[in-house]
Amino acid sequence: MQYAASGVATGCAFALVATGFVAIYRVTRVVNFAQGVFAVIAGMLAYTLLGQGVPHLLAEMLAVVAAGAVGVLIGLVAIGRRGTSPLASLIITLGLGIGSYAVLILIWGDQPISYDGFKGNLDVGGVTMQLQYVLVVLLTGLAFVALGLFFDHTYLGRGLTACSSNPRAARLVGIDVTRMGLVAFGLGGGLGGLAGVLLTPMQPVSFNSDVAIAISGFAAAIFGGLLRPGTALIGGLVLGVAEALVAGYGQASLQSGVALVIMLGIMIWQAGRRSIGTGEDTA
Amino acid sequence: MSHRRLVRPWSIAVALTLVLPLVLPNALLTIYIFIGLSTMVVSGLSLLMGFAGQVSLGQAAFYAIGAYTAGLLSRDLNVPPVLGLAIAPATAAAIAYVVGLPLLRLRGHYLAFGTLAFQLITLSAIGEARDLTGGDTGLTAIPPLGIGPLIVEGPFKPIVFGYLAGGLALLTLLFNQHLVRSRPGRALRALATSEAGALAAGVPVGRYKLQVFALSAAYAGLAGGVYAFFVSYIAPGSFPLVRSIEFLIMATVGGLGSVWGSAVGATVVFLVVQVLQNLGTLPGMPLRAPAVFSYAVYAVILIGIMLGLPGGVVPAIQAMWGRRGYHVRP
Repeated sequence: MQYAASGVATGCAFALVATGFVAIYRVTRVVNFAQGVFAVIAGMLAYTLLGQGVPHLLAEMLAVVAAGAVGVLIGLVAIGRRGTSPLASLIITLGLGIGSYAVLILIWGDQPISYDGFKGNLDVGGVTMQLQYVLVVLLTGLAFVALGLFFDHTYLGRGLTACSSNPRAARLVGIDVTRMGLVAFGLGGGLGGLAGVLLTPMQPVSFNSDVAIAISGFAAAIFGGLLRPGTALIGGLVLGVAEALVAGYGQASLQSGVALVIMLGIMIWQAGRRSIGTGEDTA
Repeated sequence: MSHRRLVRPWSIAVALTLVLPLVLPNALLTIYIFIGLSTMVVSGLSLLMGFAGQVSLGQAAFYAIGAYTAGLLSRDLNVPPVLGLAIAPATAAAIAYVVGLPLLRLRGHYLAFGTLAFQLITLSAIGEARDLTGGDTGLTAIPPLGIGPLIVEGPFKPIVFGYLAGGLALLTLLFNQHLVRSRPGRALRALATSEAGALAAGVPVGRYKLQVFALSAAYAGLAGGVYAFFVSYIAPGSFPLVRSIEFLIMATVGGLGSVWGSAVGATVVFLVVQVLQNLGTLPGMPLRAPAVFSYAVYAVILIGIMLGLPGGVVPAIQAMWGRRGYHVRP
């Protein structure tokens, strides 16, 4: 149960990263390789802010907002230029991810960093859980509810959904598709940042942690074919628990393999259901 | 493109391959060898991306598979090194075939993540199989390359490897040149323009994609085999994820699907990174300067090219001279 609890918590963080992937992919059809970078940047920024004496919560919120801003910047480079194909955008986000290494090493060095989350434990029916885990689960739930409300009940959210279901029609009714894409990147950045500030107290991050985070997030995201945030949440939880159980009962060195194997398995399974020739918009 | 125009670049390339290993000083010759190996890997990746429209972020895994195949066969099974060198690309291609069978049915970005995952799995598998591969400490004491009593060692080793790497790189380019002009090559070009269109015209799209993937893996495996014999020590750390991305950058610089571009891309990127690393290790430079420099230059090259010259550098220059390259916009 201990393992399961920590697995649920990391799974929630994966689900947030996954939702970031989904938010960006739905609107722009771009798979953002730099998705893990948001989490790393937010985690490191929160670490610095906390070190400067900024109180908890405020520091984390600032870090998340900053990650959202970084998301908009990445989006600007990746899709800001008219006629950039999704494949080109993917390579550009990969380049931006590599570029972030230079900046991150320059500012924070190449050692992993972490900070204290919420101390203390909570007893629920005989199972002791760290308060941090509970907080992570609560915040993730809150984020998902907020997202649902945002997509269904606000003008901006509906615009985003319109772009994802039919960009041409969206443009015809006067929606600026590129701007919506940037909004999606900002949203993806914020979600990744939230995952980062929640994850950093549980497992230290270093400049190149983004690959592992992005892979876990992507693995969770493809549960729903990169399109459905709800399924991504389930995917994240399954993945987090599976990883924690493997690390707890099996070998810790196999932990990172779980996400990879699950991801490959799902992709191959999905491949069996889709024919080859349909990839015209692919890329 | 007329035949007369074709002759000139090839004769220049052959002349360079014959002369350079003899005239370059040892330090530069090592760089030349690495550029030759990179060219082989990149020429395969360039075909894959330019024609099959698939991004592979796992080419360094096939490089590693080739290196370990050649190294293990000749060290532990006493297979003649030359034979090991021939088996290395075959193994890489066979693995690519098996892995590609499910993966290549997927869309571009799935393959990108799939090959990335494949490389991470390959590296951790090599690291875990300690008894066989020496684990993370690596595979040491790989026997030198040779045929029978002739063993490549001593002062002539760099020159021999210079000819080997340069010659093999030239052969892969030659093969690619023929491939893109052949009937399968035309089919691949159709595939690059429109997959559905090619399928409708009777091109076996899935099979061709898989074959190009296996071919690119074979090139990488061959380069890996030569690498293993040249440095005689390999470890999972010799084939990091960044190496795969470096190959991708070289292919992008050269122009996806451009035959000559692979050589130019590999040379330019390798030299730029080398110069920056040397700059970064100069006295007075901060400790982390080399890493920061190389990451920054990767990012700048990749983003700059995708935004500025999406076709790649070589096709852009060719276009300026009024020639038509076979490059395909991604």
